[in-house]
Amino acid sequence: MDNTTRREFLKYGGALGVALGAAGLSSIARAQEALKIGVVYVSPVAEIGWTKQHSLGVDAIKAEFGDKVELTVIDNIFMPQDAERIFRELAASGNRLVFGTSFSHGTPMQKVAPRFPEVAFEHCSGIVHLANLGTFEAKYYEGTFVAGAAGGHMSKSGKLGFIGGFPIPDIVGPANALLLGAQSVNPDATCNAIFLNSWFDPGKEKEAANTLISQGCDVICSMTDTATGVQVAGEKGAWSIGYASDMAKFGSGKQLTAFVLDWTSNYLRAARGVAEGTWKPEARWEGLAAGVVKMAPYNEAIPADVQTKLKQLEADIGGGKLHPYAGELKDQGGNVKVAAGSVLSDNDIRGMNWFVNGMIGKLG
Amino acid sequence: MDLFVAIFTGTIIAATPLIFAALGELVVEKSGVLNLGIEGMMLMGAAFAFGAVVAGYSMPVAIIAGALAGAVTSLLFGVLALTFLTNQYAAGLALAIFGSGVSAFLGRGFGSAPIEALQRIHVPLLSDIPLIGPLFFHFDPMVYLALLMFVVISWFLYRTKSGLVLRTIGESPQTAHAIGYPVIKIRYMAVLFGGLMAGLAGAYLSVAYTPLWVENMTAGKGWIALALVVFATWRPLRVLLGAWLFGGMTILQLQGQALGLAVPSELLSALPYLATIIVLVIISQNRQMLALHFPASLAKPFRPAT
Repeated sequence: MDNTTRREFLKYGGALGVALGAAGLSSIARAQEALKIGVVYVSPVAEIGWTKQHSLGVDAIKAEFGDKVELTVIDNIFMPQDAERIFRELAASGNRLVFGTSFSHGTPMQKVAPRFPEVAFEHCSGIVHLANLGTFEAKYYEGTFVAGAAGGHMSKSGKLGFIGGFPIPDIVGPANALLLGAQSVNPDATCNAIFLNSWFDPGKEKEAANTLISQGCDVICSMTDTATGVQVAGEKGAWSIGYASDMAKFGSGKQLTAFVLDWTSNYLRAARGVAEGTWKPEARWEGLAAGVVKMAPYNEAIPADVQTKLKQLEADIGGGKLHPYAGELKDQGGNVKVAAGSVLSDNDIRGMNWFVNGMIGKLG
Repeated sequence: MDLFVAIFTGTIIAATPLIFAALGELVVEKSGVLNLGIEGMMLMGAAFAFGAVVAGYSMPVAIIAGALAGAVTSLLFGVLALTFLTNQYAAGLALAIFGSGVSAFLGRGFGSAPIEALQRIHVPLLSDIPLIGPLFFHFDPMVYLALLMFVVISWFLYRTKSGLVLRTIGESPQTAHAIGYPVIKIRYMAVLFGGLMAGLAGAYLSVAYTPLWVENMTAGKGWIALALVVFATWRPLRVLLGAWLFGGMTILQLQGQALGLAVPSELLSALPYLATIIVLVIISQNRQMLALHFPASLAKPFRPAT
């Protein structure tokens, strides 16, 4: 696998085209039928976090296909204008399957895909589908609901704290589910929410975690791409909930659990589909049942009977017995949004722009 | 009361990297040189300090490594801007991009390894006084170093002959040269000092504040430091107050969000920037004072006549 940074990419990219320069030459020597796959990461692969979880999917492809696959990985592409060029070059240089891993890759992929109808495009966290553009996404809210239940059991103050990047449905929804999970154990639980209004600012994230703890929150869930929230909570003796990767080693023993994202099945399914010629664009949106969302090992401090209950909860949500957004759900003003006996529709979940009763914070 | 302590200490800590970086830049600009590359130097400092900790060196060594990394990076700017007399704006911007790229490259090796943060001090007796202890005697040593640097720089600039020479060079390098001062050499020293301070700011972020290494972890703090110097009309005390104001507003807006203040979070997030600009613009109304403190030769290249 060629793990190329954007800077190296630009260096190679000039006249030859990157795939030719960085990967293509070696392919001539190899078997002609090697399946060429291009992957674009939004950030470099760190020890934990969003991109790390995607790299595990890529590793799975490598493990299964071995020599029969030729991977080109370009990392640190966030801006749509950069991404469009990269996607076009990947598609033009013989890759038959191209992955985009960030919401910001959506518009460029939608532009590039129609021009390369023979190339399969897969977009993580995307919403738009085309004849050759499929999407996959995780049901984060299933993970936060279980994590919230763990928090509800362990919290002394009954106050949870949530840190998110921007107040968008993909983050507001999981925040709501976190509190609903906690309320399933402790009906009086509340959750203070802070939005950094930045995708990336570890300093601000630290202050946000400190702020929540100073206001009495004793379970911190940070849905950002660093372990800062887990780290600060650990230092201050508060419980924490990790996101994307298991962040236990950053948490001074205080991480209750983490809702881990495992994209492996999505990567393998797409690669197999393209290799066998059966690939079709799909809109996959999976959670605990498919193992796309997994709970990291529960903290030993959680009593055994509670752990059993949490595992049962995972099974119930995975099996469809329990829906995190089952009624009756009220918003912050006490208005009933979901009547008892019904559940929030998938469309409403993906467009959730309101806080449930008990959330403390204001959405624009 | 706990909340007050949290806000107060949060403010002081959030302001510390800004104080380092902005005071360093103040000295650079007072010598008539504009180095826009603070962000790049901070990132180099952050990467080296973090790398040193990961490699097993002690905290003081790591912080010094960060400071030196900032200084070495600034040397690059110095050579471009002072020796080759390139445009200082362009050279500074190039340095910012260069530093962010190189630090990202070097930082790939350390992943996001967890490290032990710089320990906070504990003064026997003093740290245990209720309220006063947590408010004043429970920070990490670099917070006190930042304040010490403020005192030293204010004293140096306005109470020593060397400071006077430095300011003269910023006003009129020709005059300073005519009476025999080595203008280029002194400007080099100022630039190096600025780099050292930016490196300290970066080191503070990566080993004390967050403590972690991620690409571009400064998240724009270098640019804020740059703006602080201008809005503070090139005066050390105002730099300090500006940094505290900015840090304080950052903490307050987070507290406001968490308390559920009925203001959209986007607006609250903009508050530190708005408040700092408004306050500093208001206190900079006096044009005479502004003219008095603005280094007249800022960003103008100077070559000694031979």
